[in-house]
Amino acid sequence: MTRERLAPWAAYCIVGAGALIMLAPFYFMFVFATQSRANIFNLPPPLWFGDDLLANLKILTERLPFWRNLGWSLYVALASTALTLLFCSMGGYAFALMEFRFKKALFTLVMATMLLPSFMSMIPTFMIMDALGWIDQHRALYIPGAASAFGIFLMRQFAATAVPKELVEAARMDGCGEFAIYWRIVLPLLKPALGTLGLITFIASWNNFIGPLIVMRSLDNYTLPLALRTLQSPVNTEWGALMTGSAIATIPLLILFAVSSRQLIAGLTAGAVK
Amino acid sequence: MRWPAFLRLSPRWAPYVFISPFLLLFAVFGVFPLLFSLYLAFQSWEPTSGLDAMEYVGLANFAFALEDEWFWKSLKNTAWLALASGVPQHLVAIPLAVFIHTSFKRLRDGVIGAYFLPYITSTVAIAIMFSSLFSTDFGLVNAGLQALFGIDNIDWLGKPENIKPAIAFIVFWRYIGFNMVLYLAALQTIPKDLYEAATMDGAGRLQQFFHITLPSLKPMIFFGVTLSVIGGLQLFEEPFILTGGKGGADQSAMTSAVYLYRMAFDFNDFGGASAMSWLLFVVVALMTWLTNRAFRPRGQS
Amino acid sequence: MTSAAPWPRHRRALLAAGLACALPVCAAARRKLTVAAFPLLDEIVKAALPRWQRLHPDVEVQVVSRQYADHHTAMTTALSTSVYLPDVMALESSYVGRFSQGGGLQDLAQPPYQIDRFRSRFVPYAYDQAINRRGAVVAVPTDIGPGTLLYRVDLLAKAGLAEADLTPSWEAYVDAGIKLKTATGAYLISNAQAVKDIVIRSGLKPGEGLYFDQDSRVLVNSPRFVRAFELARKVRRHKLDARVSAWSNEWAEGFKRGTLATDLSGAWMVGQMANWVAPGTKGLWRAAQLPAQTFVSYGGSFYAIPRRATPENKALAWELIQLLTLDRDLQFAAFKSQDAFPALLETLDDPFFEQPLPFLGGQPARMLWREAARKITATQVHKQANFADEVIGTELDNVLDHGKDIGRALADAERLLARRAHR
Repeated sequence: MTRERLAPWAAYCIVGAGALIMLAPFYFMFVFATQSRANIFNLPPPLWFGDDLLANLKILTERLPFWRNLGWSLYVALASTALTLLFCSMGGYAFALMEFRFKKALFTLVMATMLLPSFMSMIPTFMIMDALGWIDQHRALYIPGAASAFGIFLMRQFAATAVPKELVEAARMDGCGEFAIYWRIVLPLLKPALGTLGLITFIASWNNFIGPLIVMRSLDNYTLPLALRTLQSPVNTEWGALMTGSAIATIPLLILFAVSSRQLIAGLTAGAVK
Repeated sequence: MRWPAFLRLSPRWAPYVFISPFLLLFAVFGVFPLLFSLYLAFQSWEPTSGLDAMEYVGLANFAFALEDEWFWKSLKNTAWLALASGVPQHLVAIPLAVFIHTSFKRLRDGVIGAYFLPYITSTVAIAIMFSSLFSTDFGLVNAGLQALFGIDNIDWLGKPENIKPAIAFIVFWRYIGFNMVLYLAALQTIPKDLYEAATMDGAGRLQQFFHITLPSLKPMIFFGVTLSVIGGLQLFEEPFILTGGKGGADQSAMTSAVYLYRMAFDFNDFGGASAMSWLLFVVVALMTWLTNRAFRPRGQS
Repeated sequence: MTSAAPWPRHRRALLAAGLACALPVCAAARRKLTVAAFPLLDEIVKAALPRWQRLHPDVEVQVVSRQYADHHTAMTTALSTSVYLPDVMALESSYVGRFSQGGGLQDLAQPPYQIDRFRSRFVPYAYDQAINRRGAVVAVPTDIGPGTLLYRVDLLAKAGLAEADLTPSWEAYVDAGIKLKTATGAYLISNAQAVKDIVIRSGLKPGEGLYFDQDSRVLVNSPRFVRAFELARKVRRHKLDARVSAWSNEWAEGFKRGTLATDLSGAWMVGQMANWVAPGTKGLWRAAQLPAQTFVSYGGSFYAIPRRATPENKALAWELIQLLTLDRDLQFAAFKSQDAFPALLETLDDPFFEQPLPFLGGQPARMLWREAARKITATQVHKQANFADEVIGTELDNVLDHGKDIGRALADAERLLARRAHR
């Protein structure tokens, strides 16, 4: 009896300690964001907030068009999310609930591309972007990603379980058009998965730096991760400003996560469970 | 709104219309790079000389890769890191999810949020943070270890044998929440009456875990482990940024993906890099297939 | 869908008139040059733009700046597909070797560039560094990093040593380090690898690269390397190195606290130390020539023109490069603002070089560096040099940390390098 009662307390402590470890690096990122470069590397390192936040911001905004870069990151992430949700939900619905030729082969091919590291396609992607005239254009960042293999995978799994085939058939027999079925019946049922995929896509787009590295050419057009990297050099990294920039870059994600976390949990289920 | 008859999509053509936006993008941005790199694997190419500098060399790149000490070294590193970061993730995530599922009511969202937070951080920020935290004389990890256990400062990032655990920890830290959320979600679909019946039959908590919970989680384990296998074998960002793009002392943090990158952009050997990426592809495909066989839920193709 | 009303007539006329006015303007539109660079070279280019505008008011210059490593990756990408090439490409010295062996950069010895006219105006080794194996001059040096020995005069004094004890030979340097450690507890150097790095650079025969010779034969199993490894091992055995990696927090702290007594680096290190690494140690450091009459360079920057850049712009690009590298005032301005040691020989005669440097306790160290710059000889950089760097570094770690036999280590390295030498 006593063993049963002790164990939960120990477990609470462990889980709590684990949560603190999860949060610790964030805490320090925000602490370091308010410290100067010299202070960050003191021994012992600073444990509480300093008063160099404004100084760091000054360096940040002097070296980079920071707010502009932030704006571009937001724009690209939103566009990427919208497009990906649209294309992957349509495609996932088709793979899950419709029959067509080469369905299996196509799906395997799509899955196969998940296995190629992204930078291997750096040069061919550059060639394509140039051929399309998309160099230094933001559409080069959000359009290709809409063909996300992970997105199709997730959507297909979810659609297969959350959308009953009979419902679709019944609607069809009632004379409902295909687009109407998709828009009015299937999409609402896919909501949790849409929330999940949306969040994951937004995060991936926000943090992506290899894509922009290939196609962006002017500092004014950079997204945040790439712009922040210009503060790093082998010899002379502006640590304080870099931390401040990184911390600010995390805030929109934190807000987004706080708002959509319940959706996320609901969405990562079902499709993967069955 | 009803479309006019001639515009209405027939069920026969519907599938093609629905997948065409995705397929179009995929063909251009997914398949072309794939084919390009396949073509490149048979060429010798020094990239700064331009596209016309490619020379056909047959299987020479593959032969080179298979005999290259660093290629095998990187595969070993990758396997080690994938296992060391992946296995604990699932071993810890499952009990963690079970515990949170059964025991946390009020703080549940907060706890889940805390564990999920590392997943949303950019790798650049993570690498910067952890470089600072793992610093030998100034890092908080060592400060903590010394205060709590009296251990001398460990050179995490400088010594080959220490870099690996450090990176494994960082990857674990990053994805544990993600997996925990997956399992939490799956746990919510297990009917409560199964547990009630078991309790009435006299089964203890541990027995219930092994005989009810685990088997019900099998599909989710399959999903999660597949993602971990693919992600682990392609591990790039964390080791790359933490070791400044080099792979660390004795190349101990040089995963296959990092080595590929270096082959292409540091050693300017794109043909070799492409051949290696295809060899790596075969390995990942093999591992994915094995995972599939091991965990495949009954009745799913 | 509502149908749009056709444009009112007067609007169409206005549009036509506007286009007609625009056409001649288009014809005489501003030309644009693109310069791709990295911090802080981008600041140097931007600072030169006012001068450029006065000479070419109709040519706009856009500076595209990326982080150091990202920039070189982007340049590799651009060169590989020959599109979106900048008109002027900045390159750091450690990348010049890689980029020069391919055919992507314009040979500036050809007409109409004929850079050999200016050969005598540049610091010799910097010019030579940009010459590839086929004799093409692919880049123009703009700043250099003459190697120097920096030492803490106070710590040396405490151990009863003077500069002359450090400099006669590498063996003397290491022996002095032993005395230093015993007397003051300070380390001689941040890492034994630094000793290996510099000793392998001394005693090169003409035509030899660092790791490979002109025919791509591997040179590492040779007395030059054995000596370097032995010295490094001696340093480690006597615990003379702090075992920190360059630019890490521990490394910077070592300088701040005076636990690192010397440093082997480029002249620019003084500026870094004064600015942020160890400003508190002002006045305690002195500079000297590297021991054993070794003259090597640590870094440096170049400008190149991609061979396939827009042909109409190449002549202008060449003019811009000439302005940046041959103009005495601009080279000086870069020196004063960004601590970029000029590659232009005539700047070296300026009295500026005789000025005392406060960080070095008033020592006019620039004269030393000037002399060193003139004496450095360039080495051919082989395509696999980067790889070789790492292999040798790893083998040295094996020798230092795991007691591996030097002969075996070098033989293993030779084997690895031989396999790649011809790729």
